[in-house]
Amino acid sequence: MPEKPTDRREPIEELQPAAGTTQERVEAAPEISVAPRVEARDQAAEEPAAVAVSAPSTDQTLPVAANAVVTPVEAREPAVATVRLEKKHPLAIRWMHWVNFPVLFTMIWSGLLIYWNDSDNAYQHPHAVYRVGVGSLTVVRLFPPWFWKLINAPYRVTEGLGYHFFFMWIFAINGILYVSYLLISGEWRVLVPERRSFLDAIQVTLVDLHLRKGLPPQKKYNGAQKIAYTSVVLMGLGSLVTGLSIYKPTQVHWITSLLGGYEMARWEHFWLTMGFCAFFVVHVVQVILAGWNNFRSMVSGYEIVPAAKAPLEEERRVG
Amino acid sequence: MSDGREEREEQEQRRKWEKEKKDRDDDLDRYWERDGERERRDSRAAEVEALDAEVKAQLGQGTRRSFLVAAAAAAGGYGFYRWIDRSPGDQLIPKPLRKTLEFNAKMSRGVFDERGLAPTYPVARSMELRTNGNYGLKMDLVPESYRLQMVGVANAKDLPHYVDDVTAWEYQYVTKKEAGPVEHDTKVAPKALVVVGDGSQAKVDPNGDAGMGEGPMMQGGTASTMVGGNGEKKSDVKMPPAFAAAFAALKKSQGNKRPRGQEEAGMSDNTLDAGTPGLLLTMDDMTSLPHHELVTEFKCIEGWSQVVHWGGYRLADLIAKYPPERKPDGSLPKYVYMETPDGDYYCGFSLQACMHPQSLLVTEMAGRPLAQWHGAPIRLHMPIKYGYKQIKRIGLIAYTDMRPDDYWTKLGYDWYAGL
Repeated sequence: MPEKPTDRREPIEELQPAAGTTQERVEAAPEISVAPRVEARDQAAEEPAAVAVSAPSTDQTLPVAANAVVTPVEAREPAVATVRLEKKHPLAIRWMHWVNFPVLFTMIWSGLLIYWNDSDNAYQHPHAVYRVGVGSLTVVRLFPPWFWKLINAPYRVTEGLGYHFFFMWIFAINGILYVSYLLISGEWRVLVPERRSFLDAIQVTLVDLHLRKGLPPQKKYNGAQKIAYTSVVLMGLGSLVTGLSIYKPTQVHWITSLLGGYEMARWEHFWLTMGFCAFFVVHVVQVILAGWNNFRSMVSGYEIVPAAKAPLEEERRVG
Repeated sequence: MSDGREEREEQEQRRKWEKEKKDRDDDLDRYWERDGERERRDSRAAEVEALDAEVKAQLGQGTRRSFLVAAAAAAGGYGFYRWIDRSPGDQLIPKPLRKTLEFNAKMSRGVFDERGLAPTYPVARSMELRTNGNYGLKMDLVPESYRLQMVGVANAKDLPHYVDDVTAWEYQYVTKKEAGPVEHDTKVAPKALVVVGDGSQAKVDPNGDAGMGEGPMMQGGTASTMVGGNGEKKSDVKMPPAFAAAFAALKKSQGNKRPRGQEEAGMSDNTLDAGTPGLLLTMDDMTSLPHHELVTEFKCIEGWSQVVHWGGYRLADLIAKYPPERKPDGSLPKYVYMETPDGDYYCGFSLQACMHPQSLLVTEMAGRPLAQWHGAPIRLHMPIKYGYKQIKRIGLIAYTDMRPDDYWTKLGYDWYAGL
């Protein structure tokens, strides 16, 4: 669930870049960090005064002038930026993420227009399916009349059906492309939870609820995120399967039967949607808490990270 | 769960770090101040800061570009939605949506071929079917006056029930003896509600005919063919004399019959012209077919479903007994059209859907003869279609090669409605 700025707890000593370490890291992901490094050298050449500057740990008793004359440019440790750009989200994932947002919204909205149809019947038992309850005990039926009025749902069933059966294609195709991309690019490695993720997720949740301190170490996503993002993809698959079993309950009756029958499939379809809504709320709150740097990375792809942070490429390659 | 000890330890650790850092800084300050290197350290810091700024500037550029693309995409997406929403309507829904429904139907036919069989259930699981809408059933039909009109049957002229004009047959009606359990429909807005606007003042009687049309029968009038009634006596609408005369002349020219298509969707495009030849079958012709029983789940597009015990005759058997006339090229017509005797409700089907082994002409439900409000004497059950295709009180079955009109399709629903 939480999108954490991946390493806000790492202590950063701004004025003492560990030059050696940075150099190694830079080589591990050359295409990302080349620019700042090259520019650092150019700058150094233009400003002879700066040439004399050495890292604080080197011998500071040397006379300035001698050092300036004798030391060749290459021999001196160049100034290195303390931050770098990390390519966090590939272009394809950003597109599919943002396409999914209005499409899923449209699916939920049009679905509500359809659900309304069973809320207003004369049988005094509306929504036998869309309710909270067990057997004959019903705690609450969904939704109350004021809700339908609020979203202007009454008598817009045909519109709902029309949009639902239009956008289902976009939702399905986008989802299939997304999963295919995860598999082909290896991005699934950063997303699929490991055994450790489940313990981590509990810890992360407790930290988020301010019940304890100390986030477990993480790479692109923490345990809770991995579980949430993988679940929401599985929920999407669930919505497609339950949706198909409601859409063609005679032709694919074996799926409908496996899901527990037509009414059960509708129930499942409905509660998966409620799951999406819950995910959405938590997701948006966490994105707001995580801040602009994190949000921006879902649009531009890049995040500003401390130069010393391990690049994500490794995680993508080996998991 | 917050562990006070742990917290204290962490604070101590942080204090230690901060102190160490400060000591280091102080040491450096002392050196630099003595050697006059303070400025250089500042310039080093400035250099690093400049580099950081450059990294951020680089990102800034990319971010601006990304957000511009995102804005364009969002505008495009919204434009796409507006294009759908503002498209001219095709039978009450925007044309792109109608096209999609048709595309989906084509996909469904291609993938599933409508040959799947609906699951069946033990009789014990079945229940009374709700009544949901009484279009075409406002009056009770006099059973003896029932005939099933069949049009487009091969070699009809040689069959015993052939008549030159099936439309001339007069069905007899009586006022309802029993209203049936509940008659209510939410698939379209009741007109009264639409007029009032927000619906808060319009109290719709849940047991009334909400959502029904505004034909003469809806306003307390009776059908012209009703036994002992001429259908006009209760109308208090004052018409200008000239208009009244013209109206009366029109009615007379139509044989003083009640106008067809009195419900919301209006008259069917496929209503037969006077003088259409065909068969007028009696119930005996039907009951001579092999009898079948079926327990399947009835599914309404409104979102409810019920397991129902049906009894009756296979539509496929009726079609086999009265096959459609072949076209000049030897092929069969593609469609079947059905309507109620008063023409108020009507449905179109593919011939293949009618040939489905579970498409049943129902004469019994729950082991009892079909009630008037369920569409006596014959209604349709078709588990490969939604309930709105399962027409009650079938008056006409016609073979046709043009896709027939359909009541709910006219009001924005899918023509195919395949499950």
